[in-house]
Amino acid sequence: MKIRRLLLLAAIIGLVLVPVLLSQSLINAAIQMLIASLFACAFSLLCGQGGMLSFGHAAYFGVGAFATVHAMNAFGGAGLLPTPFLPLVGAAMGLVVGLIAGWFATKRTGVYFAMITLALAELLYALAPHIKGWFGGEAGVSSMRMPAFGLSFGSNTQVYYLTLAWVLVSLGLLYLFTLTPLGRLTLGLRENARRLSFLGYDVHRVSVLVFAISAMFSGIAGSLQALNMEAANYVIFDLQGSAEVLLNSFIGGVTVFLGPALGAALMTFFGYLVSDMTHAWLLYKGLLFVVVMLFIPRGIAGLVQSVTADIRRQGLARMAPSMALYVAASILLMAGTVYLVEMLQRFFSQDYRSLAALNGKGWPPIAVFGSHWAPTSVLTWAAPILALIAGLAVLRLAHARWTSILENEEGVQTLLARDSAAARGQP
Amino acid sequence: MDYFLVSLLNGLIYGLLLFMVSAGLTLIFGMMGVLNFAHASFYMLGAYFAYLLGRYIGFWPAIVCATALVGLVGVVVERYFLRKVHKYGHAHELLLTFGLSFIIAELVKLFFGNYPVDYHVPAMLSFPAFHAGPLAYPAYRLIMGAIALLMFGVIYLLLTRTRVGIIVRSAIYKPAMAEALGHNVPRVFMAVFGVGAALAGLAGAVAGAFYTTNPNMAIELGVLVFVVVVVGGLGSLEGAMLASLLIGLLTAFSVGVDYSLADLFTWLGAGDWARRMGGLFTLKLSGLSATLPYALMLLILLVRPSGLMGEKE
Amino acid sequence: MNRMPILSLRDVHKSFGQTPIIRGVDLDIVPGERHALIGPNGAGKSTLFHLISGQIAPTRGKIDLDGRPIQGLPAQQVNRLGLARSFQITNVFPGLTVFENLRLAAMRPYGLQYVFWTLIKTRRRITAQVEQLLEQVRLQARADTLASELSYSEQRSLEIAMTLASDPKVIMLDEPMAGMSNEETDYTLALIREVTQGRTLLIVEHDMNVVFTLGDRISVLVYGRIIATGTPDEIRNNGLVKEAYLGEEMAQ
Repeated sequence: MKIRRLLLLAAIIGLVLVPVLLSQSLINAAIQMLIASLFACAFSLLCGQGGMLSFGHAAYFGVGAFATVHAMNAFGGAGLLPTPFLPLVGAAMGLVVGLIAGWFATKRTGVYFAMITLALAELLYALAPHIKGWFGGEAGVSSMRMPAFGLSFGSNTQVYYLTLAWVLVSLGLLYLFTLTPLGRLTLGLRENARRLSFLGYDVHRVSVLVFAISAMFSGIAGSLQALNMEAANYVIFDLQGSAEVLLNSFIGGVTVFLGPALGAALMTFFGYLVSDMTHAWLLYKGLLFVVVMLFIPRGIAGLVQSVTADIRRQGLARMAPSMALYVAASILLMAGTVYLVEMLQRFFSQDYRSLAALNGKGWPPIAVFGSHWAPTSVLTWAAPILALIAGLAVLRLAHARWTSILENEEGVQTLLARDSAAARGQP
Repeated sequence: MDYFLVSLLNGLIYGLLLFMVSAGLTLIFGMMGVLNFAHASFYMLGAYFAYLLGRYIGFWPAIVCATALVGLVGVVVERYFLRKVHKYGHAHELLLTFGLSFIIAELVKLFFGNYPVDYHVPAMLSFPAFHAGPLAYPAYRLIMGAIALLMFGVIYLLLTRTRVGIIVRSAIYKPAMAEALGHNVPRVFMAVFGVGAALAGLAGAVAGAFYTTNPNMAIELGVLVFVVVVVGGLGSLEGAMLASLLIGLLTAFSVGVDYSLADLFTWLGAGDWARRMGGLFTLKLSGLSATLPYALMLLILLVRPSGLMGEKE
Repeated sequence: MNRMPILSLRDVHKSFGQTPIIRGVDLDIVPGERHALIGPNGAGKSTLFHLISGQIAPTRGKIDLDGRPIQGLPAQQVNRLGLARSFQITNVFPGLTVFENLRLAAMRPYGLQYVFWTLIKTRRRITAQVEQLLEQVRLQARADTLASELSYSEQRSLEIAMTLASDPKVIMLDEPMAGMSNEETDYTLALIREVTQGRTLLIVEHDMNVVFTLGDRISVLVYGRIIATGTPDEIRNNGLVKEAYLGEEMAQ
């Protein structure tokens, strides 16, 4: 427990120091990371805690953004509220739209619910460019941040701190929510909504509330985006945005409160870092998501949780070799995959085709991460494939070692549990 | 009259195309309870495979091969991906198929580029079937419709008249019982998944030549296919046919309708007011034709949730 | 019976499509009694439970709870009127701890379902009530265990505790002993007897020993109709019942 609190404190201190420590462009990235983290946690309230899979959450992010831009433009540009309070507009809009959309969507469950949320988002995306008054058509709506309380909000740094403040407060509120009666009920919705109705709860009404609260915080995130960009465009409603928050949340892991935030932060950070280096970033993201879904269903945060629990039980010394094997396997697999994908991407790209055509006599070497590789050489393709095979082999070894350590322990645990149950007189 | 005939044909054929893709999806959902997000990706793969192979082996052989290839992909997806996460529940399976659709789209962009490819109807097939006024109605559209109808007929006969069909239907409705009777239900699942995928691939291979073949095909059609399956009733083949035709006709007819709510209000005497309000009131139906299927789906989900022909929950 | 029945069914019919399952049931449950419902498989006992608890609505007929008509009301309303049921297949919240499970069940009568402005742990009365429930079903030691990790009979105990949590007037138990060993059955029987003091119990069970020792009165449901209602002795000696259901066993 204490370690967690210290880590949290350290993280917050780190976040506060970001503008001091990092360059301007990285501050931008940090703002994006914060916004994505809040959006992911808001999404996860509905999806991870409430068990309601929403495929159209960008809708609430988007309405929050648009409402904020319009609020910024109100009163001839002076703004409906002082700049630091504008996210309240996003919250209000998200809440209202969430109540309406949620009322319809939660009338159904499971796949049908997911389809409704998708349809609502697609409907909005299709309608938005036509309603120019609200959504500004192709160009969108833009505005300018107004000074308030002696701050100009012109610099990146000030926007960063405004974003940080709102994100920390929102995350704090979201966390406190999980400790309230409604918050506990949300988990009940996920675990067994049917039983809730037999316990006397109006499941539909509870679902609508949870949906609306999730939409409200999504609206705050959208609002922060609008403040940052000083603009909003209808493409914000695109399926891409809904897909992104979904991928981020599940990669991070929805079983831990800050899991989605972690996933969003990591994905946004890496996206920022590597989008200049590769065209295939989205492919990597998708591959990671599928790998997580198949092999690490509780996400990265869940994985960290269970690994630390195992280490605490078994001792670091016993687990360290297996951990090293896992790390080695991951490196091999990632290297092989990245290399292969990059080679293929360049080989099949339009630019390369043109180059090869110009060259006349065959295939010129391809540049990947600084070195050149000839596409006709066997080694070029054999190297990554070998890396993948080796990585898989090491992975199997690591897995075998890890589970054998745990299995030995499990056998003892079950015996002990059975003994103590008998001693208590339970049948 | 011409407009009516052309719209009717377009709507019916587009509807039949939708049916080709949604037939597999609704069968798979009825059978396994999984809504396969990647189903429209199979449609896209069919188009791309046909495009790729067509340059070497000819138009029709390429379509046949593409169909088989996509079927194979479907089998692999079921066997090595879906089956692994079955134990985590339907939500997890849905998410996995979502991830797969994402990856397939990105892979297509990787190999073929993030722009449409030149997959077109071969010259010998691009002649007009008849003339409706000034319009030349392409014969290829009728060919697409014919293929879809043929496919429906074959599936219907297969499911209702053959022994294999009976086994498949029993596996759909009572998998435990079918397994108890000695049938290899997992293999049936795999086969149905593969056939469903192949059908979507066939639709893609045939339609991709006429409509555009680009990496966004899957998303554009995908959501529409879900609408069809939900409106028709998850698990119901007849419902899928009905809903496909309905949506096809709705889209086709509304595309040419340049009326808006304001025009309706004019009829009531409040036209000027409506026009001044702007926004939603002056939106032409033709501009909204893309949104009509979603509106229909929302309506159905609220009024008759099990779909037009689905079983009541 | 000069006391007004706390639960009464009048000419209740239920058909699924063309198939009639419940073909006219009349039943009166006296307040405070332990009433067992028995019958061969397929007689409609589960359907009857579903009809009373609000899961499905009767095709025809009236069901009154404490004088109030409840036929056709949704399950959550029936529960709020004071009737709680358990499930034959354990129907708890698997990913939550035993404590959480019971807290969700106990919370509702306090009207807290839409409250998100106070922390639940500040509501000490609920915590006390949950602890009392845990004690009643002897699950205190397992309070922090996930429901999915409980043994089968512990889960059945949890099932019963959750049914009790809202302090219902009428408690319906659907085959609570299903799948239990003799030892577990004896333990659960004693538990049920204890927790149903001062409440009305309607129980469906196949274990005849349980039925005849626990029940004040027994009703026999065959092909959707109640063919006999009476004390255990009356039922044991009833010719119709013997013929329809008990066969050779009870004749001994």
